[in-house]
Amino acid sequence: MASEFVTLVSGDGFEFIIPRSTACVSGTIRRMLDSSSKFSEAVSGRCELENISGIVLEKVCEYFCYNEKNKDQTNVPDMDIPPELCLELLMAADYLDT
Amino acid sequence: MDNEVPLPPPPRIRHRSPNKTPAASGSSLRKTYQLSRFDDQPSSDPALFSSDDVPASGLENYHAPVSSVSRKRRYRGTWWGETVKDSKRKRADFKEKRHADSGVWMGSDELGAESLLPSEDAPSWGEDILKDTSNSTVTGRTVDAVMRDSDQWEMQGPAWMQWSGLKKVEEPTEHQAARNIVHECLETGQESVDLSNCNLRHVPSGLLLPLQHLTKLPAIIEPPITEETYSSLQPFLRLFLTGNSLQTVPGELFDLGSIKVLSLRYNKITEMPPAIRKLTLLQEVNLAVNRLHYLPWELLWLIKKGDLKHMKVRPNPLMEIQEAEIAQWHSPEGTEIESSSGVLKLCDYKGPAPEEAWAPLHVATGPVRRFNMEGMPVDVQTSGAYANQPIEESRVPSLREVSLLACTRSFFFDQVSDEEMVEYPGLIIRLLRKAKEVRSGGGRSCSVCHRGFVIARTEWIEWWDCSTYESGLKGPRSPGEKLRPLPFRRLGCSWACVPDAGTGQRNQEARGL
Repeated sequence: MASEFVTLVSGDGFEFIIPRSTACVSGTIRRMLDSSSKFSEAVSGRCELENISGIVLEKVCEYFCYNEKNKDQTNVPDMDIPPELCLELLMAADYLDT
Repeated sequence: MDNEVPLPPPPRIRHRSPNKTPAASGSSLRKTYQLSRFDDQPSSDPALFSSDDVPASGLENYHAPVSSVSRKRRYRGTWWGETVKDSKRKRADFKEKRHADSGVWMGSDELGAESLLPSEDAPSWGEDILKDTSNSTVTGRTVDAVMRDSDQWEMQGPAWMQWSGLKKVEEPTEHQAARNIVHECLETGQESVDLSNCNLRHVPSGLLLPLQHLTKLPAIIEPPITEETYSSLQPFLRLFLTGNSLQTVPGELFDLGSIKVLSLRYNKITEMPPAIRKLTLLQEVNLAVNRLHYLPWELLWLIKKGDLKHMKVRPNPLMEIQEAEIAQWHSPEGTEIESSSGVLKLCDYKGPAPEEAWAPLHVATGPVRRFNMEGMPVDVQTSGAYANQPIEESRVPSLREVSLLACTRSFFFDQVSDEEMVEYPGLIIRLLRKAKEVRSGGGRSCSVCHRGFVIARTEWIEWWDCSTYESGLKGPRSPGEKLRPLPFRRLGCSWACVPDAGTGQRNQEARGL
């Protein structure tokens, strides 16, 4: 049985351990971790995201939690994104399909 | 009384009470004089007038010698008896301190006096404002962006010039003419800004924004002045952009919150931005003779919640309800379907017109189109029918949306030119272009939850009959009048923002199941 937490590793070696359900907000990670697939990520519960830097991945994880937290809310608060990160985040969002 | 701050103990109590002062005034002058010889502080109260305690001033001892000791008592210190130890030094201390800057600016300072003087005449001052505002709102949307006075521009914003890689371009004459008109209106406090037939293809940036500062000039009226001669100086701003060749509506138009009459008749506008909602004081709008297929739902919002009373939208190539796909027909109160033609019409009524003869009537709602996170349409059939479609019902914006919104809100977004964008990875160029388009249109906000957004996730058409508002509320609908509904397009920011989502009932039902 797969663990409840997964590890996301950034290109520069930062590791973020977040709940599996939270990480599955991203379509790419969801497909990586799909237990029916035989990807190594699904077995080990560790996703190496080579092209995302640690700073951006931290913000991505923050977004995952923000998404998970506000899933059922009707009044969703805004999430703050520093302007210098928004282009890189956009790229990451495209890659992660979220 | 209890919480009063206790006073410090008096170091030396002076006798001030009248029963202990032996000397009154008149008769015992000599006594006080002697007293004051050995004690600098006479025991009597100070005299009322300054000359009273000078012994020589009295008639009775007119020839008495005036001693240097007898002078008006000077007392420094607190009322309860503390005296200042060395009062003479205080003055010197203060003088030494004078060089320090107190931080208080006095109008009489020489430096300040210069800047107070009106160094320039009024017109050039107005131009400064004009330039300032145009400088701050450059959208960078057009490469052939125009500059009024290129020398000034280079001085003011060299960084900006480098960023967008612009060359000096002479402003087209029609733009210069338009700027002159706006300038003239600002100068004279003219409320009707007539930019009709100016051959404008687009509105140059910074043309309209100065109108924010338009103020009426008070009329000078000969006396007698009655109450009627007083009038508001709040301008009744009317903007006419009639008869130009505009294809899009500039976003900065929607920053002029005080517009009350707006005419965009006879242009080539294909879509009216939803940002029109920001013009909450709008009373009359004319969008006739354009290329609109539908209207923004926000116009309807202005009718219902705002002041909009007259909305001219025909002729336009608007969609017809007979040809459109309808997901749900509404039968608003007071209407019935005509049996022969199937057209909705108003019920017959007698006597005074009921409310529904005036109000806009919701006739029908079109099917909801959904878009994925990229803004591409999603086929409803493949992703499940919309009635029992539980996937992604949340209102949380996607990460793409969150970061795009942050992009549009950041100041550097305007400075990124189209050429530079080509160098970005192909995946995001399309999204960024979309974001630019939305930004130049004045931004969008969800018609259901009012959140700002860039990529619409849902879209549907609502059909409303507003015939009373089209005629400027001249009269109610006549009994049995056929309804001629107009298409209003609504946009939602998430898949949960769909028709009737405001009540949230369907959401709860879906979750309960």
